Amino acid sequence: MKPNTNPTKPLSRRALLVDAGMGFGSIALTSMLAQDRILGADDVDPKSLIKRFAPKAKSVIWLFMIGGTSHMESFDPKPTLNEFAGKTISETPFADVLKSPYMANERVVAFDPNNGFVRTEIYPLQVGYKKWGQSGLEISEWWPHVAECADDLCLIRSMWTEDSNHGAQLQFHTGRHRVDGFFPTIGSWVNYGLGSLNENLPQFVVMGVPTADCCGGQETHRANYLGPQYDGIPLKVDSKDPLPYARPPQDVKADVQSSEFEFLRKLNQITAEKFPEDEAIRARMKSYELAFRMQMAVPEVVSFDQESKKTLEDYGLEQKETRTFGGQLLTARRLVERGVRFVQVYHGSNGGAGSWDAHSNLKAGHSKLCKEVDQPIGALLKDLKQRGLLDETLVVWATEFGRTPGSQSSNGRDHHPYGFSVWMAGGGIRGGMAHGKTDELGFHAVEDRHYVTDIHATVLHQLGIEPHSLVVPGRKRLERDFGQPIRAIMT
Amino acid sequence: MNSMCYRYLSSIRSIGVGCFGSVGLALAALYCPYASAETDLYTTKVVPLLQEKCVACHGPVKSEAGLRLDAAKLIRQGATSGSIVDSNSPNNSILLQRVAANSEERMPPSDAGVALKNEEIELLRQWIVAGMPAPEHEEFIASPADHWSFRPLGSRRLEEASSTPSKPILAIDQLLANVHAAKNLEPLPPTDNYTLLRRLTFGLTGLPPTVEEIQSFLADESPDAYEKRVDQLLDRPSYGERWARHWMDVWRYSDWDGYKEEVRGSQRNIWHWRDWIVESLNNNKSYKQMVLEMLAADELYPLDPNALRATGFLARNYHRSNRNIWLDATVEHTSKALLGLTVQCAKCHDHKYDPISQVDYYRYRALFEPHHVRTEKAPSDATPPAPPIPRIYDSDLNVATYLFYRGDDKHPAKDTPITPGVPSSLPIPCELSIDSVSLPIDAIMPELIPKNERLAIDAAWKKCDNALDQLNAAFAKKKSAERNEVTSNNDFDLAFELAKFREAQTALESLQSRYAADKAKHLADDESLAQTKSKAAIEAEERWMEANAELQWRNAQRAVIAAEKSNVEDETRKKAAYDKAKKELEKTTETYHKWRKPDDTVRLKNYTSVVKGYPKQSTGRRSALAHWIVDPANPLTARVAVNHIWARHFGAPLVANTFDFGLKSPKPELLELLDYLANRLLESDWDMKALHREIVTSHAYRRASSDDETRTASWKAIDPDNKYCWRFNPLRLEAEAVRDSVLASSRLIDDTMGGPDVSQDSGETVYRRSLYFRTAYEKQMTMMVLFDSANPSECYIRRPSIVPQQALVLANSTLCRVASRTLADRLWKETKQDSREFVRLLFLSTLNRPPSEAEYESCSEYLSQSSLGSPHQSLAHVLINHNDFVTVR
Repeated sequence: MKPNTNPTKPLSRRALLVDAGMGFGSIALTSMLAQDRILGADDVDPKSLIKRFAPKAKSVIWLFMIGGTSHMESFDPKPTLNEFAGKTISETPFADVLKSPYMANERVVAFDPNNGFVRTEIYPLQVGYKKWGQSGLEISEWWPHVAECADDLCLIRSMWTEDSNHGAQLQFHTGRHRVDGFFPTIGSWVNYGLGSLNENLPQFVVMGVPTADCCGGQETHRANYLGPQYDGIPLKVDSKDPLPYARPPQDVKADVQSSEFEFLRKLNQITAEKFPEDEAIRARMKSYELAFRMQMAVPEVVSFDQESKKTLEDYGLEQKETRTFGGQLLTARRLVERGVRFVQVYHGSNGGAGSWDAHSNLKAGHSKLCKEVDQPIGALLKDLKQRGLLDETLVVWATEFGRTPGSQSSNGRDHHPYGFSVWMAGGGIRGGMAHGKTDELGFHAVEDRHYVTDIHATVLHQLGIEPHSLVVPGRKRLERDFGQPIRAIMT
Repeated sequence: MNSMCYRYLSSIRSIGVGCFGSVGLALAALYCPYASAETDLYTTKVVPLLQEKCVACHGPVKSEAGLRLDAAKLIRQGATSGSIVDSNSPNNSILLQRVAANSEERMPPSDAGVALKNEEIELLRQWIVAGMPAPEHEEFIASPADHWSFRPLGSRRLEEASSTPSKPILAIDQLLANVHAAKNLEPLPPTDNYTLLRRLTFGLTGLPPTVEEIQSFLADESPDAYEKRVDQLLDRPSYGERWARHWMDVWRYSDWDGYKEEVRGSQRNIWHWRDWIVESLNNNKSYKQMVLEMLAADELYPLDPNALRATGFLARNYHRSNRNIWLDATVEHTSKALLGLTVQCAKCHDHKYDPISQVDYYRYRALFEPHHVRTEKAPSDATPPAPPIPRIYDSDLNVATYLFYRGDDKHPAKDTPITPGVPSSLPIPCELSIDSVSLPIDAIMPELIPKNERLAIDAAWKKCDNALDQLNAAFAKKKSAERNEVTSNNDFDLAFELAKFREAQTALESLQSRYAADKAKHLADDESLAQTKSKAAIEAEERWMEANAELQWRNAQRAVIAAEKSNVEDETRKKAAYDKAKKELEKTTETYHKWRKPDDTVRLKNYTSVVKGYPKQSTGRRSALAHWIVDPANPLTARVAVNHIWARHFGAPLVANTFDFGLKSPKPELLELLDYLANRLLESDWDMKALHREIVTSHAYRRASSDDETRTASWKAIDPDNKYCWRFNPLRLEAEAVRDSVLASSRLIDDTMGGPDVSQDSGETVYRRSLYFRTAYEKQMTMMVLFDSANPSECYIRRPSIVPQQALVLANSTLCRVASRTLADRLWKETKQDSREFVRLLFLSTLNRPPSEAEYESCSEYLSQSSLGSPHQSLAHVLINHNDFVTVR
């Protein structure tokens, strides 16, 4: 049965989509479609336009560091900075970076008198680098656990974006600059484009505190015109209260509730028999069944009773600084194990720009934040690998932009959209590889440059979806919104 | 420059967002009602291809080279220079040669579009080879003026309607009856009275009928029982709330959004506009009047703060970071909401489908170029006074508008300022006449209105009072310390408080003097008086400056003492703080000394006027536009409005795309009905209640939504989607109505009207109607979002979904649990625990109908399950979760 793609039609014969393959939100009437679509496109199911091929990965774990992690102090060593420390960029042999045409890529939302400038006085590296694994990938000493998985990592050192302020967080997820408005995010496209592997769980789960209102807010994991059924569902690692409205009020006993659900089904059934042509009522009955199962399944996912002590230790659940993020990543593993398609985990939300935003005290700040995430991420990668899940799970580590080679307020770095790093692991991505380059100063991405949507395209490609086929009639997507899969990093 | 520019610009056409839908499909559906197998190739493949690639330049809007490619007949006619197809030798067809050319000859030109793929060219070839089969009566329009929405609204031709006094048939039904007869459809009979009353009460008020209302309606056997009920409902304040929410969707209501306290979008207290909408609807203000006030109350009623609230419609578009985004939104949404036109598509290039050039876009923008937002004192005399009203005014009368090349604001065409106007090629026979408006003095200098002056002076007095209280307190403290022989900084504190009082006192005196001076200058025609008052105001302000300098100095003194005594352990930090305080002290000492013996470096040359001095005139552009929009000869306005109204009664609009009535919008199946309703709106001087009354009293509205399947099977075969209204569409309640009916059926509802937006986080505990809760980007109630509430940035129609999260809200929210318990306990008590009566009243309260026998039996059995604790509460909760609780049948 095709979904009703005519938004103006009432709940009608063709309106209904009851497709087990579409999972959470699958049982959706109509509404996913565009505001400005038009009559007549009545018979086009936009999902039928999706081109699919054999997937390399089934699920994605998407780790997002809010505030802008310094690429130079994490995954992109630039010893040149030590050599020219204290000099201005113009005094180095690399003065040309300031005249690069790439500078024009910057788009400013609102002028911020304090931040978002090119800082010209070169600031030396605040941490040392080592070579890791057989591949000898260079990773900073603040990331020892992640570095142990070097041979599974593919570093992408040539990212660029446009927004020199933290709207770049939104831009990283939608591919559009903040002033362009809001668009479906990568997670919602995946949710929209892929069938469900587990009907009892939401397909797009979000953990951690989202980006703040300044920088995208909830829109960083929402589906916009695809419709609310494709939004990321916020999940708390709290088996008592994991989802909005996932549990009845405390004074409602479980057996009372289940008898209510049962009786509700019975009453609805009486009505359904009276209105045999009303598909909405059957859809609603089914949505209650799903909701009931979800309500059972979700608390189980965030309960770690069945996990070994060693696992809990590995993820850092025994230590204060890693407990929160470790619990989220362990939940992430449990979710993908159960067939959830897209797990987005935020780290570093502080109600504003994000705690990775190291305008000053970079050394103290970054080393502390790395401690919070490094061990859990390392544990996640090893755990997935040991369970044979890494092959089918694509792990993405990302941040909205890098930081300036020059110093700000004597011991920090400013925002830097011109060149920065992300990495991927598993899910058919080559390991032990560094792809792309920034220049000697870490200023501009200069080789194999990638705009943020190239990451989206790569994710979709590994999941077996042709990115260009994700279109909804009436919603024009720009060529750049689709990005290009980075074929060089695929196995 | 236009055609040159067009080609250049179209190569980057993708900049425009949302302009290029799958129009080909739409037109195929429109123009090919008699498609058959042999014409399939044409209707499903060729038409969409030509629409996408060619028709922008070779269609009804532009027919370059005299060629049109928007209908087979026109393709046969060819270009000015001759035929473009050769059926005998298809490969020699100019059409094929041009699209396949490798040279500059190629169509579309490289700067206008991407070349056709080989398989697309092959498609055209096949079609030509096949003899260009096309539907026999393929429709096309001669020119844009011929498009259905641009045709004038004619007079109604309904005199022949077979209406007799004993059996009146409304024109709506007559029109539908004609269609049904032509399509061999038989409409369903009227629905039962329970269903009808629920439908009507939700439709007009957004709330369910109460048990008493149901019973009185069922008991009323008078022939006009229904009509009476319609009138009663239209008279209820809840009517205004219900329809306000609908119009708030269309008019993009949004509370302010921003980061922390900084407003980035819309305006604080924009709810004044929401209240204006509710009140206007309840007072049955005409649609025309509402449009006039929303666009130009500041020009038309500059001294009426109640009317000024309406301009929240424009103030809502405020965008802090970028004026162009602000104006783009204004252009886009005023035209979509009021005219059903997508003017925004012409920002970067001429409109692809409609007769709107890129210059037209900027002409239209220029109408809004001078406007800005300011606040107006709210009229109420409430204490505390109501927050100010955000409102529109023309702030810069001479600001120029320039066309932006490719829509890029970095490249304005500075040599040719744009004249304000409406799109000149639109076939709309109304004149836009712009006359600037002289504003009354109270609008130019609202500060000098006696009431406003009094408020300002009172506030300054209040500051004095407070300072005096604190001075007294400091004095008492010193006295007490001296008695108790405690050493302290009380001298410094006292001196500080004294300085603060002096500051407040001189500020008050200065304000009074400045008012006197401003009044002498602006309101009295007496030069010498003005000079005297001005001199006095300067002196008073200097005294204030001196007092202020002393206050800063005293404050710095205290800071130094505090820094000295600081118990910060880190010596470096302590010293840094001390140094900073010391530096501030030096600075303030210097300033204070200067003011004590003022010389020319500090003396004031003039006083600070209290009058901001808004422009004495307004450009009149927006009132001209408003009058143009509501001109009875404007064919779009009434059509767009009635389409919105119809859509919200029937769950489906007559024109599918509610914001685009342009050339890509196919002729609606029920155009005659649309036009009839639009004419009715015009004839009644835009009376919306009258229109509602006519719609809901029609047979069409009162029809059943379902019937025995064997009986409906044949109608469904003819019209599965109910395009011809042979039955009523079952509807899912909108988000607000879902929550409101939980509150209403349990009688928890708090029917307080109006006022500031209620926090979106308190929807479970505050029982106000849902439209009063904050809704803005990032600030929406979760329950609303899950039930598909309006996206505050754009929602021309709601799209209901059915997702498990909705089930979770209704099943697990505290709100639904509390409501069901409240309802159950009340009925349990009222019925003295008579389970049959309890079940009956519970069904009437929630589903607004009595239970069937089967339902009654099941419920009785359920109520007897003692294991449930309170089965009556459980049962109420089940009914709030029932499919039909959120459904109108």
